[in-house]
Amino acid sequence: MREVMMLIVVLLPFFTGILVPLLPFRSRRSMWIYLETAVCVNSVLVLWLLYHMPEDRLTIFRFTGNLSVTLRLDGPGTVFAAIVALLWPLAMLYALEYMKQEDNEKSFYTFYVITYGIVLGVALAENILTMYFFFEMLSLVTLPLVMHERTREAVRASRMYLFYMLGGAAFAFIGMTFVLAYGSTSSFVAGGVFDPALTADKRENLLLIYMLCFCGFSVKTAMWPFSAWLPRASVAPTPVTALLHAVAVVNTGAFAAMRVTFYSFGTELLRGTWVQWTVMALVIITIVYGCSRALKETHFKRRLAWSTVSNLSYILFGVALMTPLGLAGALTHMVCHSFMKLCSFFCAGAVIHKTGRNYIHELDGFGWKMSKVFLMFTISAFALMGVPGLCGFVSKWYLVKAALDSGGTLAYAGVGALLVSALLTAIYMLSIVVRAFFPGKEFDYSKVKDVEDPNWMMLLLMGTAVLFMIFLGLHSGPLTEVLEQIVEEL
Amino acid sequence: MSKETGLAVLVFWPFLAGLLVWAAGNFCHGGRKAKGREAGQEKGQNHLRDGFAVGASAAELAMAAVMALWLPVFSGAAGGDGAALYLDIPEICGMGLHFTLDGFRAVYGCVAAFMWMMAAVFSREYLMGHHNQNRFYLFLLWTLGATLGVFLSADLYTTFVFFELMSFTSYVWVVQEESKAALKAADTYLAVAVTGGLVMLMGIFLLYHQLGTLEIRELSEAAAGCTDRTVLYAAGGCMLFGFGAKAGAFPLHVWLPKAHPVAPAPASALLSGMLTKTGIYGILILSSRLFFQEEAWGKLLLLIGVATMLGGALLAVFSVDLKRTLACSSMSQIGFILVGVGMLSLPAAGNTATSIHTMLAARGTVLHMVNHSLIKLVLFLSAGIVFMNAHSLNLNDIRGFGRKKPLLAGSFLAGALAIGGIPFFGGYVSKTLLHESIAVYGGDTAMKVVEALFLFSGGLTVGYMAKLFVALFIEKNEDSRRQEAYDGMKRYMNRGTAFALLGSGLLLLGWGAFPHAVMERTAGAMQGFLGLTENGEAVSYFSLENMRGAMISIGIGALVYLFFIRRFLLRRTEKGGAEYVNAWPRWLDLEELIYRPLLLKVLPTALGILCRLLDSLADCTVVLLRKTVYRDSKLPRERPEGNLFTEALGTFLNAVQSAGNHTWRRGKPVHRDYVHLAAVKSEEIRETNHIIQRSLSFGLLLVCIGIALTLFYIIWW
Repeated sequence: MREVMMLIVVLLPFFTGILVPLLPFRSRRSMWIYLETAVCVNSVLVLWLLYHMPEDRLTIFRFTGNLSVTLRLDGPGTVFAAIVALLWPLAMLYALEYMKQEDNEKSFYTFYVITYGIVLGVALAENILTMYFFFEMLSLVTLPLVMHERTREAVRASRMYLFYMLGGAAFAFIGMTFVLAYGSTSSFVAGGVFDPALTADKRENLLLIYMLCFCGFSVKTAMWPFSAWLPRASVAPTPVTALLHAVAVVNTGAFAAMRVTFYSFGTELLRGTWVQWTVMALVIITIVYGCSRALKETHFKRRLAWSTVSNLSYILFGVALMTPLGLAGALTHMVCHSFMKLCSFFCAGAVIHKTGRNYIHELDGFGWKMSKVFLMFTISAFALMGVPGLCGFVSKWYLVKAALDSGGTLAYAGVGALLVSALLTAIYMLSIVVRAFFPGKEFDYSKVKDVEDPNWMMLLLMGTAVLFMIFLGLHSGPLTEVLEQIVEEL
Repeated sequence: MSKETGLAVLVFWPFLAGLLVWAAGNFCHGGRKAKGREAGQEKGQNHLRDGFAVGASAAELAMAAVMALWLPVFSGAAGGDGAALYLDIPEICGMGLHFTLDGFRAVYGCVAAFMWMMAAVFSREYLMGHHNQNRFYLFLLWTLGATLGVFLSADLYTTFVFFELMSFTSYVWVVQEESKAALKAADTYLAVAVTGGLVMLMGIFLLYHQLGTLEIRELSEAAAGCTDRTVLYAAGGCMLFGFGAKAGAFPLHVWLPKAHPVAPAPASALLSGMLTKTGIYGILILSSRLFFQEEAWGKLLLLIGVATMLGGALLAVFSVDLKRTLACSSMSQIGFILVGVGMLSLPAAGNTATSIHTMLAARGTVLHMVNHSLIKLVLFLSAGIVFMNAHSLNLNDIRGFGRKKPLLAGSFLAGALAIGGIPFFGGYVSKTLLHESIAVYGGDTAMKVVEALFLFSGGLTVGYMAKLFVALFIEKNEDSRRQEAYDGMKRYMNRGTAFALLGSGLLLLGWGAFPHAVMERTAGAMQGFLGLTENGEAVSYFSLENMRGAMISIGIGALVYLFFIRRFLLRRTEKGGAEYVNAWPRWLDLEELIYRPLLLKVLPTALGILCRLLDSLADCTVVLLRKTVYRDSKLPRERPEGNLFTEALGTFLNAVQSAGNHTWRRGKPVHRDYVHLAAVKSEEIRETNHIIQRSLSFGLLLVCIGIALTLFYIIWW
């Protein structure tokens, strides 16, 4: 029963989405209720699953030999599934309100809901084939969402998105074939599937293949030099940029990178080799690079997108450390970053939704008028900077601790990069906050007369995220305990 | 409730009180409803809120005093440092918060609460009619909580948490007026604070990784057992950067002379008197726990200290802005304190185990800290009163303001004498102790230079304070109408402000008048924090020998005032009067000269170019491939007429024709389309062939040829 439930949570959103254009809704309201209920039910089912972990795997389809589509719930999967299940219903609520003004609502909802199931599929994948399958599906399903506006810019952005995604998947595919060919099993096994005795002569080849595979999966995480698509994709409606391009899709990439590193190739094979240093160097460059670009960016959502680029590489940095502590740090940052970035993106969305302003220099004096939104934005800005007492600090603390423990010049450089990035984050986030709250003595407040807070549907998610940020910041014990348990088996 | 819980109350009460004050300001309008109140634009007086703010800080003071009396060092009971209160709040903020209370912390808690109370009292009048008062009070109290959190912290992690909090809450003070200058100064303040905080965090990371503990009381032992001194020094350097930035040490002082003048006067008093001390607090921890009696560290601090001391004093001499002078003076005094910390860290010369200079330096440092806090409270309050009435801070505008105002003059004079190190006033004792420490240490030429600069900076202090006092209280304004207006101001402050000013002034006098009874005892209670327990021999402050240093300083001060300030900084005007000028070269400003260009121009440009290059890497590859290997295959072009051959021939002939038109046939150019002609010709040929091929004669001809070939075959083969 529990095993079948895993299939249900993947398929329920799928069918919910398919039915959106087919069902004859009498009003927008009934469609809203339908969507929100379905998403909530699915989330409840996922949370139920997390509490009653299924012990067995569920094979849906078997091609031949060890090629099969199989689901199973294990450590990192639970964390990822939990993040997604917690955030989706709230983001859906926000999307319903946000999309009121946009065209083609139905097609948007269709794909938005289907994505939920597919992301869960990645989280629940038992072997590399299944993960790859859902990974590819995700690229294709989210494409219409990026293209949603149908403007020239949107079409170009989505074309770029497709190029990057397919290119990345191609590299990942190479990695998958090698795992299938030389691994003892295709399943994810803590510690890796390569028997050192059997694969000793192919060590160098495997390292190269790992490198390709890691880069392939990291395209979704916007690792440099594959980062350009993410800011471009911010032409999509905010619910997409926020939930998919700051949380779900991009975390999928990070999650896949964790899987191949810790559960397929195994850190024993990789640690201390040139591959580790190369990957780590790429990640460190991305951390600083993303921040610098964010600093130069004047478009509100694009600035946040660049910030995402940098923050996702924090997660990858934890992965690239290739120690259990590093994985714990990476998972912590995955959780924390989801809340922080979602909140700040939704604040940007609220500004766009209420006033249609897109650029940062247009935000003077907003703090006093959209006081709730900007209060939450300020908190998320502080969290992103890593001010103690908020969740960003906790995850950075763990990452730095893991880096210092692992030692090595590059790990120290990574710590330096994290701090530089924190400084740049402070500048690019606080310059928005300062503009909003301290527009200057001569500022003409009549310019922002019609600006006001959005309604509860939008505020609910931000408020929840802020509460989470504060709670995790003040009391991170339970979360880190869970994560430490997860990485114990490595 | 145990005594330990009191520590948490002490730290968190101001946060709660801040929210209550804010609520009171927002929701209770004291009977008078302000109409058309824009968000954040309220200007009215709100007695409930103001009174509550004062009450909250007074309660804080009372609590701090009571808790101080619980301590053995003050109650007289037996017990040393170990009897200090200690509170552990586990799990919060990841590593848990740890607070403790000992002599030093108790004194500083009390001084902080006292200063906040006076600032709050003064704010009532000062802020009247200003906008965003609620915001100011909220952050005033929050900063009090954060400052107390820093001073009571028992581990560096807690220190860091509250240090960051304090940076952000005090940012609002600087930006409060929201004028252009305030916004810019606030930016600088925030930039320095954030950078300092992060570098400090790096240091804390390194230290924690190296020593495995951040507990301040365990640091000494852990540091002694640490073998890798390089990492320890790296960690210490990072943390020194962070704490030094907050203290206003050279070369990170740039925020200080800008932020203090633009903040409201009560806030300036606190920024200068208290917030800089949190930086010193951190440096004291580093010097007394990690690098106690290490020569390299001591020399580094001496160097920074001397640069700060001298630089601040020079800037202050040149400044013509009342609050800016005071701010630069703060910087200079911080330099004095840092010199003291440096002396404290220098190991004993020769074989003497416990050195006298350490004791002297320790006492001088802590006393000068307290002195400076109290002095700057009085001076900034006076400056605030001047600004409140005269609406200017420029010395030429406010010249003569203080004439016939004995209360103000008296208070200001008390502060000026104390900071100038005049005997029988507070600053004299601490400066003498610091000077004695340098003198006792002896040492080489470098130390002689330090001593000389110490005395010279003391002289400059006397000089610039004399400049301020003479300008404000003795000289008359150039503008006689303005002087009349100033003389007519009889009620230039209300009762609350008078209370704040007199209270701080009298406390300062009382504090300084009894060096043995009050100051030495306080120093004795505070030095436990620095790890020193035994009491040094009593210093006879008023012996001739000890007065010598002060006399030299005063002499230098008199010379500087008479022969430099009055001659070069007081320029004759056309009307026959004289005005103060700022002769400091405008370009000589570390921030404008180096930091801003470097951070805002050079680095972004360099990074920008790099970014562009990096960014286009992936895309360029795609574009390159698309343009070369994966180019679209060409669309088949429909030829309107002719075939490939005729087109080629025609194009060639066209080219020849056009070349000819441009050269030998320039006179009568020909325009013929050979492509068309060739196509027509080829069509004609094709048609003709067609006709021929289909005709009977063509058939017959072929038959004939066939017969002929057959004949040839038969004949020859």
